[in-house]
Amino acid sequence: MEAANVAQNLGQGSELAGKYLTFSLGNEDYGVGILSVREIIGVMEITAVPHTPPYIKGVINLRGKVIPVLELRLKFNMNHKEYDERTCIIVVEVQGQTAPVQVGMVVDSVSEVLNIAPGEIEPPPSLGSSSETENILGMAKVKGEVKILLDVDRVVGEGLLQQFASQ
Amino acid sequence: MAAGHKPLSDLLDEMALKILMIEPGDLSIVGELLDLIEKLLPGQAAPDTPVVIQRMAAAFKGALEKFIMGELADSAENYDLLGQCITEMQESARKEGHPGEKILEQFCENMGRIGFSLVPSALLEGAGSSLPEKEVDAVPPQSESVQAQAPAGGGAGQEAIPDFLQDTDLLAGFIDEAFEHLESIEVNVLELEQSPDDMDIINNIFRPFHTIKGVSGFLNLKTINKLAHATENLLDDVRNGKRGMDSAVIDIVLTVGDALKSMVENIKEVLQNGPAHYKDTDISGFLADITQLQEGGESGAAPAQPASVSEPEPDLQPEMAVSEEEEAPAIEEVETVASPSPVVARAAQTVASPRAEAPASAAARPAADTTPKKIGASIKVDVEKLDALVNAVGELVIMQSLVRQNRLVSRIADPKLTKDFSQLTRITSELQRTAMSMRMVPIKQTFDKMIRLVRDLSKKSGKKVDLIMEGAETEIDRNMVESIYDPLVHMMRNSVDHGISPPADRQKCGKTETGTVHLRAYQKGGSMMIEIEDDGEGLNTQKIRKKAIERGLISESDNLTDFELNNLIFLPGFSTADKITDVSGRGVGMDVVKKAVEKLRGKVEVQSQSGKGSLFMIRLPLTLAIIDGIIVRVGSERYIIPTIAIQESMHPELKNYSTVHGRGENLMVRGDLVPIIRLYEIFGVESTYKDPCDAIVVVVENEGRRRALMVDELLGKEEVVIKNLGGLDVPGVAGGTILGDGRVGLILDLAGVIADRGD
Repeated sequence: MEAANVAQNLGQGSELAGKYLTFSLGNEDYGVGILSVREIIGVMEITAVPHTPPYIKGVINLRGKVIPVLELRLKFNMNHKEYDERTCIIVVEVQGQTAPVQVGMVVDSVSEVLNIAPGEIEPPPSLGSSSETENILGMAKVKGEVKILLDVDRVVGEGLLQQFASQ
Repeated sequence: MAAGHKPLSDLLDEMALKILMIEPGDLSIVGELLDLIEKLLPGQAAPDTPVVIQRMAAAFKGALEKFIMGELADSAENYDLLGQCITEMQESARKEGHPGEKILEQFCENMGRIGFSLVPSALLEGAGSSLPEKEVDAVPPQSESVQAQAPAGGGAGQEAIPDFLQDTDLLAGFIDEAFEHLESIEVNVLELEQSPDDMDIINNIFRPFHTIKGVSGFLNLKTINKLAHATENLLDDVRNGKRGMDSAVIDIVLTVGDALKSMVENIKEVLQNGPAHYKDTDISGFLADITQLQEGGESGAAPAQPASVSEPEPDLQPEMAVSEEEEAPAIEEVETVASPSPVVARAAQTVASPRAEAPASAAARPAADTTPKKIGASIKVDVEKLDALVNAVGELVIMQSLVRQNRLVSRIADPKLTKDFSQLTRITSELQRTAMSMRMVPIKQTFDKMIRLVRDLSKKSGKKVDLIMEGAETEIDRNMVESIYDPLVHMMRNSVDHGISPPADRQKCGKTETGTVHLRAYQKGGSMMIEIEDDGEGLNTQKIRKKAIERGLISESDNLTDFELNNLIFLPGFSTADKITDVSGRGVGMDVVKKAVEKLRGKVEVQSQSGKGSLFMIRLPLTLAIIDGIIVRVGSERYIIPTIAIQESMHPELKNYSTVHGRGENLMVRGDLVPIIRLYEIFGVESTYKDPCDAIVVVVENEGRRRALMVDELLGKEEVVIKNLGGLDVPGVAGGTILGDGRVGLILDLAGVIADRGD
């Protein structure tokens, strides 16, 4: 399955090309497809929800809509960092079980929107365990820096809804 | 995988519900079942679907296709077996895709009994090559009288996709309208059974057929047009006194109604998913049946009626004209497309001959018809717009309280402002009430469908059943109507199939021959209650107990009340292995009912007395949108407790506090011991008080269980708009709401909170 994924990504690097919103977590740079991004908001008060994994910080009121927020650092097993004025919540929309759902992702800081060309994208490295690479669409090398392109549907969709159901 | 996949168990539950709905002869649901099973097929299933289930699904689909092709008998027994197959798939899913050989063997055995041979090893190894290939040739349906109803799943008609897709707006309108008409037809037909000679009712049936015929002709929906036209003619004969209204006519009108419904549904699908989904429906059987009836009762050729009475529905006239034009090619098609048996050809001719009569008869509508029903003027509104309105009103209410609670604003001591504010509050709450009431519809529609169900069930089983409905005008949230239908059908079935015994048996027990099923709806407190009560056999409590012990659900030493035992039937997988015929449906458990009801934040219970009958009670919230709650504070978090559940709140005194084995904490409340639940503990938050005597306890009751919830402070009472947590679903939390300060507060789900704590 994983091998098939890699092969697919190799062959279809061009399909991944496009605009990405880049942001940072610690000293790593990430990118999410611009089409799934709805908006970027500053950190606001988050209401904790019991019985959820630690990376689910809780829910916020997004103009009258209640949406879940997850902290990407915790989701990727990095250390929690105190929120500061650069901390942002990127609101993305992914396909939920029935309708599209909006979910917030807490990131250290948002950088810029990059246009990534097909030639700049490489398949994700194999890091041994598949669970760590399955969230990754590919690696983009832009101006000498590496951006990790995230599969938002997986990060959010599975991280939030699936694992959660088994709790 | 994309998150678009439904969890396996949900899919299987849905299938289980569907299989319950299948009636022999009603292949439309088999089609729905096919759609569902396709989501489990190798290649299309979610990647985490166990391979064995994908194989089972493939076999299941094979069997379904054979049903559609008519290779397998379309009988209730076979559907029962299919139901068991689904149960075995559910069981396999519960075992994470490692079912024991026993389950697989049972699955194969059931498949075998249906007539679809399968060996267990095929499910485990190999590429499932032993599965029979999909048959391409259409084999004529077996002798069942319903043959014509079989949607030609790829067989009969080769008619090209018609060009009715030209005006999709009109078509969409027609679909809605047609459904309404068909529903009114059904209700009226059932009424007609009670009073067969009531001309008004006959006219009420005739008119919708006429409208459907007219509009479908206008829209180039030839098959629908033809069928509606033929039926209209038959009804016209009845209106003109050429033949009496008897059960044969009623039956044909009902089955035609069903067929039209599935055809319109197909059109709807085409509209949504493209012309590739168009299924041509073979209606020659109906036409033949109708002709036969007409010939049986008709004495001569139909003379045209004098069109003396003024046309009550002039707007139909132009459509009529079009439909008449369209008819000629339509008729030819019957002759060329459908299997050219002489009966069909005759049908087409008879349909064609009274053509001239139709417009005239439409005009010759009795005066009684023109008296309008006493319904207030109404308009149709797009459901999405309605939801948007309700949401916006919710926002308005929240914003208003935000403004009022603003620190600066609340300090203004201007009487004018205070007055204006209270005026504003009045208007918004009025607006809120109106918006909410727009989402409420009477449950009558759903109830009316039960009349038909009970009629069919009793006819088939040879039992005599009276259905008595009460409170059909009770209003229910529109969003709940659809979701409550399937569980209701399941329970009605249970009551008629298994609760009520055949007349002879009933007489032996000293009961009247005719069984009674009460279907009631009423409001109680903040809930809507639906009850189904039958005076039949009741549940066999001892059998249930035995079964539960066998399945390890309770132990021999457990001392359960009858009520508790009876409610075990709602546990998943309860009635799987061998059937407890008294309680089980198609070998599919009542757990699907329970799950469906619980999804609506409702609750289902059964009370039963062996030999006297059973009473199923469904409790539903009145609306899914608003809840009246008390806001409590626990540490820095605020939670909302539904007010209906709250009995009282207090500062506990030490003398009333006691522990059991140093753990189970109880509080003496007016002479009763009530277990204490420390909310901060189960929600994992820091609280201000750790000693119950410093804190406040809120005594709540849920499903007969009382608990004292320990909180830090009561903040106030508010009507809050329930919002889902955007995909999060956690035990103990019913949803979220935006509080006055704009933050999200969590609404407690008491059943979950109490279950979290155990008993």
